[in-house]
Amino acid sequence: MADAKKVEWSDKETYAVEMKSISKIYPNGVAANQSVDLFVRKGEIHALMGENGAGKSTLMKMLFGMEQPTSGEISINGETVKFSSPNAAIAKGVGMVHQHFMLVPSLTVAENIVLGTAPTKKGLVIDRKKAVRITEEYAARFHLNVDPNARVMDIPVGMKQKVEILKALVRGAKILILDEPTAVLTSQETEELFRELTHLKTEGYTILFISHKLNEILEITDRMTVLRGGKSMGVYETKGITKAEISRLMVGRDVVLTVEKEKAQPGETILQVRNLEYTNEWGRKMLNGISFDLRAGEILGVAGVEGNGQKELVDMLFGLNQPDGGTAAVGGKSILGLSQKKLRQTGVSLVPEDRMLFGIAADASIEENLIADRVASKKYNRGSIFRMKAIRGDTKKLIADYAVLCRSGKQKVKMLSGGNIQKVVVAREFSNDPVFILADQPTRGIDVGATELIRKKLVELSRAGAAVLLVSADLNEVMELSDSLIVMYGGKIAAYFEDTAELNDKIMGEYMLGVQTQPPEETRKVCHD
Amino acid sequence: MTKKRSLLFSLVRSLCAIGIALLVATLLIFISAGGDSLGERLRTTGEALQQLLIGPLFRKSGAFNTKNFTDILAAMIPTIFTGLSVCVMFSANQFNMGVEGGCMLGAFVAAMCAVYVPMAAGLHPVFCVLMGAIVCGLMMLIPAVLKAKLNVSEMVSSLMLNYVILYIIKYFMNTYLSDKTKGSIQSYPFLDTAKIAPLVDNGSNLSVGFLVALVFVALTALFLYRTRWGYAIRMIGMNQSFAKYAGLPVAGTIILCQVVGGILAGLGGGIEMLGRYGTYNWGALPGYGWTGMTIAILAGNNPLFVPLAALFMAYLDKGCSLMSTYCGVPSQLISIIQAVIFLFFAAEQFLANYRQKLVVKSAREELAAREGGNGNG
Repeated sequence: MADAKKVEWSDKETYAVEMKSISKIYPNGVAANQSVDLFVRKGEIHALMGENGAGKSTLMKMLFGMEQPTSGEISINGETVKFSSPNAAIAKGVGMVHQHFMLVPSLTVAENIVLGTAPTKKGLVIDRKKAVRITEEYAARFHLNVDPNARVMDIPVGMKQKVEILKALVRGAKILILDEPTAVLTSQETEELFRELTHLKTEGYTILFISHKLNEILEITDRMTVLRGGKSMGVYETKGITKAEISRLMVGRDVVLTVEKEKAQPGETILQVRNLEYTNEWGRKMLNGISFDLRAGEILGVAGVEGNGQKELVDMLFGLNQPDGGTAAVGGKSILGLSQKKLRQTGVSLVPEDRMLFGIAADASIEENLIADRVASKKYNRGSIFRMKAIRGDTKKLIADYAVLCRSGKQKVKMLSGGNIQKVVVAREFSNDPVFILADQPTRGIDVGATELIRKKLVELSRAGAAVLLVSADLNEVMELSDSLIVMYGGKIAAYFEDTAELNDKIMGEYMLGVQTQPPEETRKVCHD
Repeated sequence: MTKKRSLLFSLVRSLCAIGIALLVATLLIFISAGGDSLGERLRTTGEALQQLLIGPLFRKSGAFNTKNFTDILAAMIPTIFTGLSVCVMFSANQFNMGVEGGCMLGAFVAAMCAVYVPMAAGLHPVFCVLMGAIVCGLMMLIPAVLKAKLNVSEMVSSLMLNYVILYIIKYFMNTYLSDKTKGSIQSYPFLDTAKIAPLVDNGSNLSVGFLVALVFVALTALFLYRTRWGYAIRMIGMNQSFAKYAGLPVAGTIILCQVVGGILAGLGGGIEMLGRYGTYNWGALPGYGWTGMTIAILAGNNPLFVPLAALFMAYLDKGCSLMSTYCGVPSQLISIIQAVIFLFFAAEQFLANYRQKLVVKSAREELAAREGGNGNG
């Protein structure tokens, strides 16, 4: 590590944020932070890096008053503080933009921005005009372009993020915490966000930036703090550090982020989707004549900005919702309207986007989570009673195969880190001889190690003959992993790329934002009849 | 946290809950105790506490009181069953309140079979109790199917159902089935062949049913933790969306757990009826269902802890009734004392700070041990 410049704490400087030997032990016994030091200069963009479970979110939650440290000291601009709640943090000028937006969908942008601090007419009714004026004023001042009168549910993700940032600024935040702000953005939107953040920086704002994406960190930040296993690996100048060095600091080994895969040899069509139509409860057309084929042995990527019909497509294919029209069949048999039990018997597996809601029962043990889809199998039952030996044996094997970091199969899943929870989900979904795997954001928000393992397993399964539909908002992931790829925009297939090799994120971004659309003859090619 | 510390915490917590409850109880007893002087009041309070704590097991002379002990065990029979019933239903997050009516229905059906269906001695009680259980299981289909098919709150429908059952039984008893030669509303006497044999011969009503109850504790635990149906029940309780997504039969399981709950409640009612009484004479809901809910919550929905919780409740009941018999403490106090103890048990955050300290200590030790084992990472 010759070039990386480690920065040491200086007593002479007054930092905007100082967190001294912070430890946090949760009631479930997890030590999320151990004597972590963080110091951020005023007016810098400071990255907080680390794998999932490294303790980034916990550290930021303590800075924002959502959690209290078990020990340690926090100071803001040299003043020691104890935040008992986010309100206390906001009062000292700390604002946070969460990964999952905290907005009210049915209210307008302006209403969301003034929520809780709304200007009123004589203390009775909300002064909407003034709310709009405040929004416009801040939007202009910080170059954050939003439409104050639009309802939040109608605006794109990128704008929602700006609304969140404005919300924090209107409340007087001078120190902004952004938790994985680019996870849901296209590359164009990301660029825009970076311009805005740089502008905020020149205005003297301090920004703490959590991200997994190394490129972004190198592009925008001044310094970074790397966390590993709840401990700080030090503060570094961004200038002069390389991706490989950051990776090494984060995981303690070199991670190969490209997946080696042989060329796909697609077999017969497994999944055939024709003219799927769906209009949601607010009358928005979410699926507008979606047709494609997915063949055995190939990975078909579905790219697109969130909210362009991907979620609806997955729901239809896994029986969680019913389309208004169209067909979907696996191996020639219609799967629309089948129960999840029947779908699983047909050989359909789903890695769900929301793993905590659908993927696991957090209070159940790893073992109980692993057997959920095969609990009635002959192998696991002797008459009415479980064969515990068989269940325990398979659990042990899966834990080893998927490198789930745990004490034993009896440990509750909620005690694991995000990456390990996802490994449990994937271990179950991949080990039931699936014919068709539906992988919805399989590596979102999990650490590099787990991501690597899951991607490898996906490729392995597809090369062994499974058909994989990969829905992901992570452009690198879809481009890296897919053999061919479709882009969804406005409920339609905007583009089909038979070979992902010569694609780049600029082209992809244009299709994802609807700047370009392929003619129907091109997109029709994804139906291999 | 290590197992030892977890256990230590549970123990300290339980003792603290009981200690605080006793303190409150002492205060209440002192206030309500008769007597003119302070000394007399203090003496009454002391005696009352002695009756409450030690009375259920020992005579004043210090000798073991077998009769009281068997009374306590006898009182556990119906509440073990209702406790198990609630465990099964609450495990699936089905807050069915029908145990109360279920218990009564089971008792009624068993009693009718005991009066009107002649049979051989060994078989008769088994038949009566099973009939009660089956009818009760079928009855639970009403709230269960309504929930599974139409998403009607099982809590509301089962609560209402309790009164429907109560008044239907009362109607039949009053109009058709009562023995008109008796001064009160009661059925004709059970056939001798239908009675459940006593376990000890000291007039305490401790019947063979107690052993049956213990067998069902084991069976229910086996059902919940070692069968695919019990597994589905628990997964639905922990995360219904997950259960659906994994392909578990959600609607079927919601129905199943309530039917099984009904069967257990019916068994409890029937066994209690044939083990303790000679005629059917219940004119109100028996209250075993409510006690069963308390027991299930104390036991954390784990069937294996149900007998312990049932023992605790029966012991408390006995102590309180002794207290009111011998020391003139109003019997209403019983409910207050039980409520206080229950409150501290159920309060999840009670002593949370102490727990957090133990957790921190354990985590620190574990980290230190890991560092020591691996050198420096």
